[in-house]
Amino acid sequence: MTNEILIQLLAAFLFTTGMLIVLLRRDTIMILMGIELLLNAANLSLVAFSKTGHMIEGQVQVFFIITIAAAESAIGLSILVNLYRNFGSIKTQTATTLKG
Amino acid sequence: MSLPIIILCLISAILAVTMLFAKSPITSALCLLGVLIMTAGVYGLIGEHMIATIQLVVYAGAIMVLFIFSIMLLNLSNSENDFKQKPKIFIFGLAIGLSVFAFIANSILTHFQNHSSDRQLGIFTPQVVSDLGGNSKVLSHALFSQFYVSFEVISLALLVAVVGAVVLAKRKID
Repeated sequence: MTNEILIQLLAAFLFTTGMLIVLLRRDTIMILMGIELLLNAANLSLVAFSKTGHMIEGQVQVFFIITIAAAESAIGLSILVNLYRNFGSIKTQTATTLKG
Repeated sequence: MSLPIIILCLISAILAVTMLFAKSPITSALCLLGVLIMTAGVYGLIGEHMIATIQLVVYAGAIMVLFIFSIMLLNLSNSENDFKQKPKIFIFGLAIGLSVFAFIANSILTHFQNHSSDRQLGIFTPQVVSDLGGNSKVLSHALFSQFYVSFEVISLALLVAVVGAVVLAKRKID
């Protein structure tokens, strides 16, 4: 078992945990954190495969993914603040109407 | 297989599981911060110094500050445990997660056992990268020559996101 297999297994584990957080938790902020964990796992897998294959494209894609993740979390957190203002809670089951 | 990578992977896996089961959002945010820092350590250990720095600065610096800031702004305290309300759904979800992990791990192991020899290798071997002036130089050169259109588009997307976040935060929905 080499380093690459270990890193790929870690990426798979982090991906599974992030997926479970997105599916099982009811806080909106936990769902956003789960999405961050998913993106982080995908980054880890991309970098490890690109390093193993002696390529540079994976690292460049990871650079773009990190930028998109920053934009996504800024938008998501401002939506979350709006959700808290309108419904008084950030639980997903309180936000049942689309039009406030 | 080196010992520091094993230690980092173990700590990161434990922190991820703690993040799944933690009651308060601030514990989860700190666990996520730990996972991101450990991932940056793994990047540094396999020689990707540029990505490790970006991970530390952008992920662990900026994004986690946003998360912790909004947790403190909304004054989120301990929520009641989600898993105690519906234990059946929780056990079902854990089973699904385990099967997904088993599937991915199985395909990874099969890939590395059977198909690792017929992989097409690129030109950026560690020797070539160190001859060209190190990892950061190679990556930056690729970013500003081969991928410059994508780079500009990404900066535009970031601008749109900043404007959108300001508009969303200022608007009052009645």
